[in-house]
Amino acid sequence: MKKGIARRAVAATLALGVGIALAGCSGGGAGAGGNAVPGEDYTGPKVSITFWNGWTGGAAPVLVPKLVEKFNSEHDNIEVKNVPQEWGDISKKMPLAVKAGKGPDVAVAHGDDVATYAAQGLLLPADDIVDALGYSADDFPEGLMDAGAYKGAQYGIPWSVTPMGLYVNNDVLKSAGIDPATVPTDKDGYMKALEALKAAGISGEWVDGYVFTGTFEFESLLWQFGGDLYNDDVTEATFNSDAGVQALTHMVDLIDKGYSPPNVAQDGNIKGLLAGQTAYNWNGVWQTTNESFNEIDWTVAPVPQIGTEQAVWSSSTHWMFMNNKGQDKNKTAAAATFVKWMNENSAGWAETGELPAANDVRNDPALVETYPNLKPFIDSLPYAHYETSAPGITAANALITTALNEAVTGKKEPKEALDDAAKQANEILKQNAAKYGD
Amino acid sequence: MQPSTVTNLATRLPSSRRPRVARTGAARHTGTAYLFLAPFLVLFTVFVVAPSIFGLWISVTDWSPFKDTQNFIGLQNYIDLFTPGSITFGDFWQSMGATGIFTVLSVPCLLIIPLFIAILLNNNIRGGTAFRAIFFAPYVLGVAVIGVIWKYLLDTQSGMLNHILGMLGLPSDIPWTVDVPWAWVSLVIVTVWWTLGFNAVILLAGLKAINPDLYEAAALDGAGMFRKFWSVTLPGLRPVMLFVSTTTILASANMFGQSYILTKGGPANTTRTAIMYISDQGLSQNNMAPAAAMSYILFAFLAVISVINFRLQREKTE
Repeated sequence: MKKGIARRAVAATLALGVGIALAGCSGGGAGAGGNAVPGEDYTGPKVSITFWNGWTGGAAPVLVPKLVEKFNSEHDNIEVKNVPQEWGDISKKMPLAVKAGKGPDVAVAHGDDVATYAAQGLLLPADDIVDALGYSADDFPEGLMDAGAYKGAQYGIPWSVTPMGLYVNNDVLKSAGIDPATVPTDKDGYMKALEALKAAGISGEWVDGYVFTGTFEFESLLWQFGGDLYNDDVTEATFNSDAGVQALTHMVDLIDKGYSPPNVAQDGNIKGLLAGQTAYNWNGVWQTTNESFNEIDWTVAPVPQIGTEQAVWSSSTHWMFMNNKGQDKNKTAAAATFVKWMNENSAGWAETGELPAANDVRNDPALVETYPNLKPFIDSLPYAHYETSAPGITAANALITTALNEAVTGKKEPKEALDDAAKQANEILKQNAAKYGD
Repeated sequence: MQPSTVTNLATRLPSSRRPRVARTGAARHTGTAYLFLAPFLVLFTVFVVAPSIFGLWISVTDWSPFKDTQNFIGLQNYIDLFTPGSITFGDFWQSMGATGIFTVLSVPCLLIIPLFIAILLNNNIRGGTAFRAIFFAPYVLGVAVIGVIWKYLLDTQSGMLNHILGMLGLPSDIPWTVDVPWAWVSLVIVTVWWTLGFNAVILLAGLKAINPDLYEAAALDGAGMFRKFWSVTLPGLRPVMLFVSTTTILASANMFGQSYILTKGGPANTTRTAIMYISDQGLSQNNMAPAAAMSYILFAFLAVISVINFRLQREKTE
């Protein structure tokens, strides 16, 4: 997440630069001004648009200003102003800013926040923009457009995806006499490797009970066992299903059977992997930019299939068009032009350790040539699952981590922990329905 | 909190002890005083008094940033917090309990250890100034900095502390930040390390203000070291101790950053403090009205504790 923030900051910065360049060239020009966003570039009078994002760390604060500057220099009638700030600050400021007409024209948010904004009336439905820009669901990985939809309307246009993968310390494997060339892809292979590591006195995978990244691993496993987090209309938590219990039991078993030490602290496992104390770590694609990996011999692969089907957790970020009080249609049209340009020029975004959402860009062979570590993540996108799109869902999701933490610290049995969490999550879903309206 | 308790103290002073000033002079002096106080009063009003009143209003409504009109619902938010089975009851009182545990564990350490250090530093030892700076140094760091540092030191498997314990032949797998009771021990140790310098410096100033003649007189009366500490040092420190204990209790009761960073409130929600829960409810989940009510309940607790603290220590003085 921290890295994600950084990346977002970078992107925002890029966007800003683009905006400034455009402003310099503006001419008179009759206003296009129609309701629909033109499929071609915005041709109306010169406008200045504001772009909020949380890209404040990593490579993003350098990358985003460059992109924005380039955009602005190529567009005489649009000036993008990049305003990076902490993600948390954005979600706190956005409601009041938009209602006062002082919010951004375009912003980027995580998939699990889009519906929360949409339910508050802060977003413009983007169906027309999607049509005008010529986007369809096929232009992005499967399920990603839905991750930015709410109540049948499209609010988010995909920008990036960040799936999970299996990071491997090859030196540790070799020390246990395991050939690092074959990374396990199924439960048998994975458990065999863990057993061999255990025989060599090494805990092969350290299981933690925190959002980063125990919760992501649990959710991956839940989907692998055929379960889901919530029912279809997100009125009921279903993570305590048999699939959920199997998933959590698998993680607790790793500890009980000595494949993982107990009481791993947050980030303890990635530190352990980098320090050569453990062999496998389930972590996000953002770790590919972690410079500490330069010190070790490592590979990364898709997460193994422990359950009955292939699945992996992924987060995503989306563009949103803001419904400011008195929003200028020209600005929204210009923002659409900016979004399209950014997606077309998003190849460099891989630098930040996130995958560009646009299939054309991501599947260009040049991308994997430049960033070979991203290949396993790209390969796993066909079966990736994205965050639930429902207003206020993060409050319910927090209970999944509580259940995970209780189970891995031995406070409760997996089923009991999940049942308790689901019960409380259902209360929150009810509260959300009242709070955000149905 | 502090201003109100200070007022309380002032009004309870016998009127005979108040300085008598001529009426006209008093008016002029009062005017000048208010003039000097004005810059602070403006800030205090805008950023403390006004939000407090607004918060009190929010706590008796169903206030939501998503609605255009807010309805007055009386004490419903407060009643919910005292009704077992309501959506906030269990979590709120658990977090209040966590705050209570942390306060009870940390405050004695934050009074006794700094007092001990202040007494040592008061002994004109060689390099005393350097030690004073060293003890004070952590206090200037932000909570995010000390949190990250200690997260590395306290990591269960790769932390330096467990490594050293292992070298000494002690258990090397203590879950310092992951499980209780160790998480509490860590939070208290980190907090004491972080803030003891502040209390020590204040107490040291208090020690230096004690008249050395008193120690001399006590020595002439045959008092030993312990007797001098008990009969001269402690009574001499009372006004300073009142200040230090009050600010320490309030600071501990408002603990947020340490457990937010070190333990994430875990295991489960055991170390989630009241402030953590209130900020999650109010700022993350946008349940502003119940969160405001919780703030006022926490405020009430702290007000009562502060008043008790003041009374206890004042009676000793008189």
